[in-house]
Amino acid sequence: MKKENKILGLMIAVIMLSSIFGGCADQGTTTPPSTTDATSKYGGTLVFGSSGDAARLDPADVTDGESIQRMDNIHEGLVMYEEGTTSIKPALATEWTISEDKKTITFKLRKGVKFHKNFGEMTADDVVFSFARQYDPNNWYHDKGEWAYWGYMFSDIESVEKIDDYTVAIHMSKPNSSMMTSLAMFTAAIVSEKAAKQYGDDYFKNPVGTGPFEFVEWVKDDHITLKAFPDYWGGKAYLDQLIFRVIPDPSARLMALQAGEIDGMEYPDPAQLEIIKNDPKLQLVSQAGMNIGYIALNCGEGYVDKNGNYQWDDGEEVAVPGAFEPFKDIRVRQAIAYAINKETIVKNLYKGAASVATQGMPPGLLGYNDQLTGYPYDPEKAKQLLEDAGYEEGFKVTLWHMGSTSRPYFPEPTGIAEAIQSDLAKVGIEVELFTEDWGTYLQDAEAGKAQMIMLGWSGDNGDPDNFLNVLYSDHVCTVGSAGNYGFKKNPPLQKVLNNALLTYDQTQRDTLYRLANKMIVDEGTHVFIAHADQNLAFKSNVKGFVIHPTDRKFFYPVYKEK
Amino acid sequence: MDNENPIEVKQRTRTEITLKQLRKNRTAMVGLGMLIVIFILCIGAPIFAPHAPDDVDLDRGLKPGFWSKDGIAGYPLGTDNLGRDILSRLLYGGRVTLSVGFVALAFALVAGTLLGLTAGYKGGIIDSALMRIADILFAYPALLLALVVAGTLGRGIDKAMLAIGIVYTPQMARIIRSAVLSIKEMEYIEAEHSLGASDWRIVFKHVLPNSLAPLIVYSTLMLATAILDAAALGFLGVGAQPPSPEWGLSLSIARKYLVTGAWWAATFPGIAILISVISLNMLGDGLRDALDPRLKGGTKI
Repeated sequence: MKKENKILGLMIAVIMLSSIFGGCADQGTTTPPSTTDATSKYGGTLVFGSSGDAARLDPADVTDGESIQRMDNIHEGLVMYEEGTTSIKPALATEWTISEDKKTITFKLRKGVKFHKNFGEMTADDVVFSFARQYDPNNWYHDKGEWAYWGYMFSDIESVEKIDDYTVAIHMSKPNSSMMTSLAMFTAAIVSEKAAKQYGDDYFKNPVGTGPFEFVEWVKDDHITLKAFPDYWGGKAYLDQLIFRVIPDPSARLMALQAGEIDGMEYPDPAQLEIIKNDPKLQLVSQAGMNIGYIALNCGEGYVDKNGNYQWDDGEEVAVPGAFEPFKDIRVRQAIAYAINKETIVKNLYKGAASVATQGMPPGLLGYNDQLTGYPYDPEKAKQLLEDAGYEEGFKVTLWHMGSTSRPYFPEPTGIAEAIQSDLAKVGIEVELFTEDWGTYLQDAEAGKAQMIMLGWSGDNGDPDNFLNVLYSDHVCTVGSAGNYGFKKNPPLQKVLNNALLTYDQTQRDTLYRLANKMIVDEGTHVFIAHADQNLAFKSNVKGFVIHPTDRKFFYPVYKEK
Repeated sequence: MDNENPIEVKQRTRTEITLKQLRKNRTAMVGLGMLIVIFILCIGAPIFAPHAPDDVDLDRGLKPGFWSKDGIAGYPLGTDNLGRDILSRLLYGGRVTLSVGFVALAFALVAGTLLGLTAGYKGGIIDSALMRIADILFAYPALLLALVVAGTLGRGIDKAMLAIGIVYTPQMARIIRSAVLSIKEMEYIEAEHSLGASDWRIVFKHVLPNSLAPLIVYSTLMLATAILDAAALGFLGVGAQPPSPEWGLSLSIARKYLVTGAWWAATFPGIAILISVISLNMLGDGLRDALDPRLKGGTKI
């Protein structure tokens, strides 16, 4: 007994000391973990059940949610998101100014920020390196990665320039109003050039950032361990250790959580939500998700961007392999939208953990058009439209579904596909189901091979451009690397979207995106099904986790109640 | 009891003796009886099933069956996640699962018999070549090989049939070959040779009929494993594709509802697979006892 008391006393002393130091290190302008009643918050290991392993550990060279989940706790960018929103706040940059012509953004860097593992202070050189390696073919690191997101969202950046040790300027070829939010994305994270030089080709296995957790070990397909970085500029994190364990099967993940092997898990199956809610030892954390699940109808208008200008030019049109003749008639597309009962799919297959979609992007984003009602379930109207279009006999079409690959926006793809099949059968359309493995599925989708395909999108940065321009615009009807699987040329829409990017005025952007949303719904190339809620399950003693709309997971504010 | 003893069993053919032996074997008869019931139910699915197998109504999803007061009348075994009647899907699914088994077996039987006869009767280099190829195929576990073949051919029920057929062909060929090897040394074959009979005549008139016994036994047992493999391929997602009511596929889709308490959606397809496989095994064991003279009258376990 006596001995135990001694140990307890020692522990309290250590915890108190650490909280004092935690307070000392707190110089940032951002909110670090609050130091009130901190004694009970510090310490402990959190094991998080992930659905898959990370692919790489280089923040600029990953596109999958699992890698991003790890990266987000190791690295930071110049700016970061406010907790739970997509508005930005200072991170490694303390302030920034946008030039007159709106083409240059100048950042003042935070002083005294240290990299993990004694790789020294973060300076302008590291910032320039983090960007230059992505866009500059002459950068020594450029050939070591694919930098997929650069072309996606950052291609307007012409160069990143060091002004002095604590000042950098980002030069853009044209104004881009979504750039600031994009800079809070994982691919814009700052990495240590010194560490990259030391590890070389193995750098993607040895990440060094400035974030609240530093990398410890990676056992492929089993777990990744991080530990709290004591010199974090915002103050040490509450958790001592953060472990991401890979458990692909959702039922197995839930069982591990119930057995106490893990403290939290992602993507519970909709069918499990009731069990989690009713278990006093568990808590369900959920929130409306920033995503869209849709069915695209292939109208067959695609092009190959030979000169790389993201525009349709003469002679670039090519045949789309999955082009489906009846879909070229807008009445047929509308009939399909009316014939699918989205309400009952949301109620029974998402188990209510979703909202029915009326347009191509989720509510809460700038330009969401609340006046749109979409295509409410109306099989009679669908039949009428088919008859008007001359298809009273119906037709046969192949629907590509995601098979066993469940994504946040389509948690039960096979069931949803079968429900759609049965709905369309009622209006005389015979649907054949097809699926293949996820990698090939995406490739074939981009090549336009599907007549009718189930897919979706989770937002990256909370900007409407990240939905509308990547999913429905006509410059992404590029056969082979398409984003718009409806394959329909729509120059008026493209014009609206381009104009919305050129202005920084929020009300003007709002008006333009509202208009764009209406145009997309009217065109009917996509049937919008639902915006799924994000769900996570934790043990009831895990506190402080805030869901982020982009599905990124930040463990800095998380602590375990003793 | 041997054929050469004319005093005891005067006019009985080999078939009659076998059937008599089989009738004495109660396990085999139970197996046969269950199989007949299963076949009648599955073939007559449109008559017996209370609903269409693809009658979807999401609002009716995952309702229990007769054992619970939450069940709905007319759905004795409950409904699956899309509100389809499980009993109806079992009956229709049996047609798919069993036909995969039969077609695969038929493929293996024809291909295996031809290859086995050729290898065993011709011998020499042809025999060596064919049997080494069989060895290579034997090196892989049957299900893994079926998975690889089905994966290469693509998803779908027809491909699953072919995949399983290909996997069982070398096994069938081996069995026939070993029977042929001993038969072709028999004196009556030598007699035929000396009479100048053609190879065709010898093979199809004497060798093949005399190797039928092992063929029948192994076919029955192989049908059981073929059905199991068909269900396994459906379960793993390379066999039958949704919305097929195939048993393995139904089991695979419904298994995630086990944790939520809706045990019936996965349990009944599982029981259906179990019963069919057990009945086939029971019949197969009985047939072996009846056909194999060395085991005749002996007790098993």
